[in-house]
Amino acid sequence: MEKMSFQILFLLTFLVLISCKDPFEPELLDISTEVLVVEGYIEVEGESKIKLSRTVPVRNTEEVPAVKGARVSVTDNNNGRWDFDEKEGGVYIFVGNFSVFDTYRLNVELVDGTSYISEPLQPIISPEIEELDFLRDENGVEIFISTKGNEEAQYFLWSYEEHWIFRPGVLSSLIYENGAVRNRREEETINLCWNSNLFPKIILQNAARFEDNSILQRELVRIPNNSEKLTQRYSIEVKQKAINQEAFDFWDILRKNSDDIGGIFSPLPSLIRGNIYNLQDETEPVIGFISMGKSASKRIYIDLDDIFPWSVFIPEYEFCRVLSDTIPPNSAAISNAFSSGIRMPARDLFNQMGTLIGYLEAETVCTDCTLRGTNIKPEFWEEQ
Amino acid sequence: MKTNKYLSLLIIYVSLSVFILPDLKAQDTEKISGLFPGISFGRFVQQIESRSAYSFYYSIEDLGDFQVNISAKDNSIQQILEAVFEQTDFRYSMDSQKRIFITKNHALDLKLSKDFFTATSRAGADSIERQNDIERAYSRNKLYVIGNPGRQKEATLKGKITGLETGDPVYGAVVFERAEYRRAITNEEGFFEILLPVGRHTLFIQNLGGFIEQRQISIQGDGILDVAIEENIISLSEVTVSSDRMTNIARPEMGVQKLNIQDMRKIPAVLGEVDVIRSILTLPGVQTVGEASVGFNVRGGAADQNLILFNHATIYNPSHLFGLFSAFNPDAVESVELYKAGIPVQYGGRLSSVLDVNAKYGNNEKVKVSGGIGLLTGRLTVEGPVGEKTTFLLGARSTYSDWLLNLLEENTDFENGRAAFYDLNLSVSHKVNNQNTVRFNAYTSNDNFRFDRDTTFRYENLNFNLGWTHYFNEKLEAELVLGRDKYAFGIEGRDNAANAYDFGFNIDQDFIKANFKYEYDFRHKLDFGIHSIRYNLQPGFINPAGIESIVVQEEVNREQALETAIYLGDNFEINEQLSLSFGGRYVLYQFLGPNSSRTYAPDLPIAAPNLIAEQSFGPGEVIQNHHGPEFRISGRYILNNISSIKAGYNTGRQFIHLITNNAAIAPTDIWKLSDANIRPQWGDQVSLGYYRNLKVDKYELSLETYHRSLRNLLDFRSGSTLILNPTVEQAVVRSEGRAYGAEILLRKNVGKLNGWVSYTYSRSLLRTAEDELAEKINGGDWYPNNFDQPHNAVFVGNYEWSKRFSTSLNANYSTGRPITLPVAKFNYGGSERVYFSDRNAYRIPDYFRIDLSINIEGNHKVRKLAHSSWSVGVYNLLGRRNPYSVFFAPVNGVLEGYQLSIFAQPIPFITYNFRI
Repeated sequence: MEKMSFQILFLLTFLVLISCKDPFEPELLDISTEVLVVEGYIEVEGESKIKLSRTVPVRNTEEVPAVKGARVSVTDNNNGRWDFDEKEGGVYIFVGNFSVFDTYRLNVELVDGTSYISEPLQPIISPEIEELDFLRDENGVEIFISTKGNEEAQYFLWSYEEHWIFRPGVLSSLIYENGAVRNRREEETINLCWNSNLFPKIILQNAARFEDNSILQRELVRIPNNSEKLTQRYSIEVKQKAINQEAFDFWDILRKNSDDIGGIFSPLPSLIRGNIYNLQDETEPVIGFISMGKSASKRIYIDLDDIFPWSVFIPEYEFCRVLSDTIPPNSAAISNAFSSGIRMPARDLFNQMGTLIGYLEAETVCTDCTLRGTNIKPEFWEEQ
Repeated sequence: MKTNKYLSLLIIYVSLSVFILPDLKAQDTEKISGLFPGISFGRFVQQIESRSAYSFYYSIEDLGDFQVNISAKDNSIQQILEAVFEQTDFRYSMDSQKRIFITKNHALDLKLSKDFFTATSRAGADSIERQNDIERAYSRNKLYVIGNPGRQKEATLKGKITGLETGDPVYGAVVFERAEYRRAITNEEGFFEILLPVGRHTLFIQNLGGFIEQRQISIQGDGILDVAIEENIISLSEVTVSSDRMTNIARPEMGVQKLNIQDMRKIPAVLGEVDVIRSILTLPGVQTVGEASVGFNVRGGAADQNLILFNHATIYNPSHLFGLFSAFNPDAVESVELYKAGIPVQYGGRLSSVLDVNAKYGNNEKVKVSGGIGLLTGRLTVEGPVGEKTTFLLGARSTYSDWLLNLLEENTDFENGRAAFYDLNLSVSHKVNNQNTVRFNAYTSNDNFRFDRDTTFRYENLNFNLGWTHYFNEKLEAELVLGRDKYAFGIEGRDNAANAYDFGFNIDQDFIKANFKYEYDFRHKLDFGIHSIRYNLQPGFINPAGIESIVVQEEVNREQALETAIYLGDNFEINEQLSLSFGGRYVLYQFLGPNSSRTYAPDLPIAAPNLIAEQSFGPGEVIQNHHGPEFRISGRYILNNISSIKAGYNTGRQFIHLITNNAAIAPTDIWKLSDANIRPQWGDQVSLGYYRNLKVDKYELSLETYHRSLRNLLDFRSGSTLILNPTVEQAVVRSEGRAYGAEILLRKNVGKLNGWVSYTYSRSLLRTAEDELAEKINGGDWYPNNFDQPHNAVFVGNYEWSKRFSTSLNANYSTGRPITLPVAKFNYGGSERVYFSDRNAYRIPDYFRIDLSINIEGNHKVRKLAHSSWSVGVYNLLGRRNPYSVFFAPVNGVLEGYQLSIFAQPIPFITYNFRI
């Protein structure tokens, strides 16, 4: 009987191992994985930016290649032509004004002579942002937007940029330089840095669903409790664009495709195209939807005082502390301690007589906030 | 007790015939005179033959010592012979050529059955081989003489048909005679009564399981013929040959596959369980997209287009563990019929096929217990009589091994899988009187399973129905069935406390069916009736689980509908060669409140911005009507004894749709009823078949080809979310489908090696409907359906080393199913995005699997305490990692593809089965 049960167990071991997960690397034959990607928005007043790039195979870890050297222009029906300049690799800029009553097309001619053209573009003027504000609740801080659309502007696309001040785990005003320790100058400060989030998720809303095309207090961003974003001062600038329905659908699909795929509640795969096509071969896939119009933007600041109390937890700084060993103030000991750059002087110790007796050290990753951000104040930043 | 009776192949009770009078009219009056004083019979014959044209045939052994002592003067030979054989056992008969045959006890009947010559003349060269092969079934060709001769021209034959091994009366067996089209059906006690012209006949006895037994009889007067028909295929495989020949060639419907449990036992199944669905999958034209997928695809149709019935109950999910086992207890199943084309008029509501699983109502003689123990499951079935009029069958099956899996968990790195399921069924039949029978069926199956630690799937079928069969008279029979079917599906997500959720959906349906069968005459058999189904769907809900969960509760509106159909069909046997089955159904479907109905701007895509009105309806209010006819026509023409052709055309409508989220790792499909915006599916099928038996029925060959057109199918829009979507119409595109293919089946039923080889070529394509404005998938071109698998080949072989020991091998190949792949990535809007290929532009790797099993039957004595058998084998012998699912997940910022294989290694199994 014992033998029997052993056998059953043996067989069951097989059973338990029945399902398995293997890598799947399908052969992708005869498909162009270098699809042209055109991204941008044509502002009727001010700077318009068009970015050209290509797709890369899905398992590729390289950077997405920029398409350089192309000729990008906007044309109208009356032989008007506005040429863009390539500012950096693959980014094409035009500064100037367009009439909002005409229709335009975007033209792209690549170095190899292939030409692409957009569907006709009708500028849409976005109404101003009526309200951009925040609300403190038990789950953190919610930033919301209110706007009022109209007959022409019913679909809204918001993008935003966040900046905030944070502080490192150990504050230090000392610097090790040339075998000695001295106080930091103002431009050398590593106690206070700015961090930013410039590529957040796409937010879309169809105002036609609401009465008077009014969007009331639509949540844009949620800052969870303990977030470093509200350490001291936080700023968000929201850019609101009014787009047409096709553009809305494009962005909606794009938004869904960027979510995790393969899960139970995941959206289904979708094919992304846009409003750009190859003049010679309309069947060539091109990704990108170019819209045109006048965007509206608004910036607000949130200070710690507005939402106090707010505790901050930064995982990288969880175990940060000032180490207890004292480094004697002789150059041998100092350079021994700090020359590798792994640690930094964090405190200077004086006896009662006011004589320097040594330094306490801390790990550089805990002390230097520039490793996670920048100590250069953003241009727009307004002090409290 | 009755051992001898059961052991013999057949029991014939022939009432002793006393005298058989030869036909005298035909003889002329050749007179014979002479003295034959005490001479031997041989000498007597010599003398008669020398004086007349008569010649004698007799047995010297019988008549060698026989003395003749008679004097004749102008007597006829008849008078002389009667005098000679007076008060002896010898009888004589004479044919038209003046040949006289002397036999002992019975006169030789020299008339042939009426179809004797027609049958052989049609058979051609093959019939000679057939004659040579005649001894293979002695009892089928032995002549049984029945009844006392009298003046009557017709005689009544009565008898009882019983199962050889079980001794149970065979209910519903058809006894028929082909030349005169006489037929009778056994009642519940197995009794039949048939009126036949006096003379020779070939009687065919066909039971419900598909076997045909055959008897050569010469009926002289009223008499009795009892036949015990074999139920165990192992000991009398010859019988099945003829039955399959009959069904394959002569059956009027086409595209019908019937498997009885004996056939299924031969197919190696996972873990040694006889498996209804897996057996069906070995038939041509039936495919599955993977091991763990729910349901099957018939002739390029979606899984939701199969109507699966288990004694009238609609089973929405016929499998355990997402298809690893089928949800039917093999001990409770009598037979399975799959209609791929030529769906009979009494079935409707699904476009592709009907799988009718007939469960047993229990033995009526004694209580029997059967069961089996496998590695994961155990099963037990009790059946028998309760009193004289009631029989029951109670079956249960369950996994019992969860505790073993628990024990193993610590020692393996695979600690995720969990599986538990059970099913129960109860079938009761009560005979009120000869005219009325009441039947009750209850069925439930329950599953609880997870692929990984965090996500548990549950689903449950629950079905009840009560049926009443009433026989008005010999010609009219009615059946009334009332029932309720329920299906519920759920997912428990416990990934982390904050996201813990319970997701689910369920279907309830109440139905009433009234079916009538009317035998107008022997050429017309009518079926008519009315069916009504009340649907009540909960299309989806999600609830937070636990206090920490931040999942928002959501619920999609319940959906109600009423589907009513009337039907009429005629089975018209025009002549022996040509038969026609035709009929129609008319279906009225009503989508009912309470619900809200959305109206979209005409000539604009069905999308949120074009929503112009939303109207609320109260309970029972009709929101939308859909109605239309369905046609069923099929015909058969018998070319000759060994081949026939069949053709058919049928249309159908379907009001309940399964929308598949094929992007997921696990099957999470949702059901949706037709409403104001989702039109009913419509499909038709043209099919043509050729059937031929080769080498004296050793092989049967069937070729079938078909073309199907489908309308109003649903495919999903790019990036849509189907689950928990209250406006599903905004997430789907209306598509049209096209499926076509050819199926070849070569089957060998006799000999030590038997089995079949089948090859199916089938395509199933979709195209966005021309008037669909929302989105043109793949530019409006045809593209493969999710389950389009062009090539499929199956080999099922069974080698019987002895009656008790056999080996089965099963090989299965099919093209991998299509998928949509993420092919590239790009940056847009500041994030990395995925670029997908055209819809279903790629395929997962091909599927190939070989299974082997060895079946060892216990002692083969018919009567003993318990029969037992062992089934030992290996599933997926080659250990090929057939992908069930392909999915992509970001790992360290790179989108990695994975294929998930279920049964990625050879799986040995052992099962012990018993019957008491």
